[in-house]
Amino acid sequence: MQPSQRRSLEFVLDNLVWFMLLAVLAIFSATVPNYFQLGIFANIIEQSSVLGVMSIGLALVIIAGHMDLSVESVAALSAMAAGILFASSGIGMGITFTPGWLVVPASLLVGLGVGAVVGALNGFLVIKVKMNAFIVTLSSFIWVRGLVVAASGGRSAQNLADELRWLAIQRFLGIPLTAYIAIACFIGFSFMMAKTRFGRHLIMIGGNEAAAFRAGIKVDKVLMIAFILSGTIAALAGWLLAIRTSGATANLGAGMLFNAFAAVVIGGVSLKGGLGALPGVYAGVLLLSSINTAINLMGLPAHYTQVIHGLLVLAAVLLDTLKQTIRKKLA
Amino acid sequence: MKQLLKHGMVLLAGTAALLHPAYAQDKGMVYYMVPTLLDEFQTGSVSALEMFLEQVGYDLTTLNADNKTDLQQSQMNDVIALAPKAIILAAVDFNALAPSVDAARAAGIPVIEFDRQISSTVSDFTSVAGTVEIGYVAAEQVERLLTEKNGSVKGKVLQVLGDPGDPYTLDIQKGFEERMAAFPEVTIISQPAMMWEASNAGTIVSDQLLANPDIDIVFSHAAHLSVAAVASLEAAGKQPGDVYVMSSNGAPVALQMIRDGWMQVEVEQPLYAQAAAVAMFMDKLVAKEPIEPGEYDVLGLPSVVTDEAWGPTIKIPGAAITPENVDDPSFWGNLKPPAAPVTSVE
Repeated sequence: MQPSQRRSLEFVLDNLVWFMLLAVLAIFSATVPNYFQLGIFANIIEQSSVLGVMSIGLALVIIAGHMDLSVESVAALSAMAAGILFASSGIGMGITFTPGWLVVPASLLVGLGVGAVVGALNGFLVIKVKMNAFIVTLSSFIWVRGLVVAASGGRSAQNLADELRWLAIQRFLGIPLTAYIAIACFIGFSFMMAKTRFGRHLIMIGGNEAAAFRAGIKVDKVLMIAFILSGTIAALAGWLLAIRTSGATANLGAGMLFNAFAAVVIGGVSLKGGLGALPGVYAGVLLLSSINTAINLMGLPAHYTQVIHGLLVLAAVLLDTLKQTIRKKLA
Repeated sequence: MKQLLKHGMVLLAGTAALLHPAYAQDKGMVYYMVPTLLDEFQTGSVSALEMFLEQVGYDLTTLNADNKTDLQQSQMNDVIALAPKAIILAAVDFNALAPSVDAARAAGIPVIEFDRQISSTVSDFTSVAGTVEIGYVAAEQVERLLTEKNGSVKGKVLQVLGDPGDPYTLDIQKGFEERMAAFPEVTIISQPAMMWEASNAGTIVSDQLLANPDIDIVFSHAAHLSVAAVASLEAAGKQPGDVYVMSSNGAPVALQMIRDGWMQVEVEQPLYAQAAAVAMFMDKLVAKEPIEPGEYDVLGLPSVVTDEAWGPTIKIPGAAITPENVDDPSFWGNLKPPAAPVTSVE
């Protein structure tokens, strides 16, 4: 193979998920009625915001060679905390501030605080007590959701403070502000992963924890930060979810963990750790949202939507696996 | 002195018993198998059953199946081993629980189907609003709203289902579409909100608003889905009444949306009456006495007990809640339980 051909092939492989996204958008635009319009593309970007933010935290922990199954429940807890405190109907206490905009940082702080605490607890149990991350975070997935149900009594908090609803309604260039928050997170964390020592250490730990330790990296400290970040970012996703739905129900965000996993894998993050970049994860999230939107517009019988959704995700992962195979042959 | 103390204790116990007649009767333990505690109807059903059963002398223990059929089957097996006075079952899956119902009845434990009817086997009693009937009421309301909006029964309805694995939502869909088939000028677009999750409903509404900007009505199968639907309408720049919104189950949040002008109709499931009916017949069920078919007054609602192939069944009509009657305290969404206690059917 010519060097130029090899470079082209490597470029395609490195950015395969983006090409897949473009292909999917093109196919759906040509085949699904009403798909090809700016409003739909704006919807796809908007619908990616919550899942996208959640996927960032999950990706960080997976890149570090660990696992965080609690992100979905943490998001629900954060949303419920914001809902109970700052919604005015149902179980919402409707706490107000003067000036009113203070509700934005206050609710954000509450949500992020909740997430950081769960993340720290997960990190402590995994790193200090040496428990298995899969089991620890699976347990958190269960008890944190249980806490949401207990705190809400199964009831919902509705009518979130106007200042928070404002964030969901406002658009810039046709795209909601919440989507810009997600994009800013991807840019910020991509920079962190690529350009900071912490990001490089995270990748090295994920690649070979023992070697990273021997190289003088403070493995425990880096991993603890990763777990806390994962919880905090999941909480941010929950806060966005509450804003988007103007409140919180006990099952808010249910099933999102699996989509976050799919996005992370499609985005090129290795489940073995040590490999992956966040822009790819964002492309994975956009890809899933594109598929979801197409299914919403296809008018399929309800029972078939999950089948088709699952098969399309499988096709995306299959392409990603093919990519790994070709890459191995090139090496 | 000892005698005086003894008499005093007896008197105190007697007074306490009189003040707490329900506990004094102590007729035994009834188990309620609730399918999930993730929505307000289900949590409301727990409190309503607790309240009404206490009024007729029973204690209630609730087990939550967390929407898992296998878990509910295990819970049924465990509860059968405890030999309670009766089991009230709101099945996660209508048919999968039928063998558990048979096992309980074989062990001599009466089984009452609550809210979710099982027709594939015999139960001792069934108390339902009728999910198919909720679909019928919703169709009548759509007919009315479309006539009001478009001059005749024509237009576009977005039907946001719950999870397609839940027979509850499929029955509502069946009843709704069965009645709407009479109106060929109405287009119905049906989409499932997976796992009954609100943000999924919001996504469906925002997508469909772009694909079908002429949607007249959004009909969700649960009030909490309508909340997200309204949030999407608001984000799309719609004002209350631009797109009509309706849903079913009668949760408090729906009533609030009617008051705020965002929602036009909520089809109520008569939660209090459904629970009260169970309590009214509990003595007969425990004593294994026959339930007579006929008309009964349940919290002021005319209800009919019929003998069906799956056992005696009481159907209590669901009502349409509109801005005109939204404050009626008999709607469970107003969270004002009936003051008058229920009494056992003689």
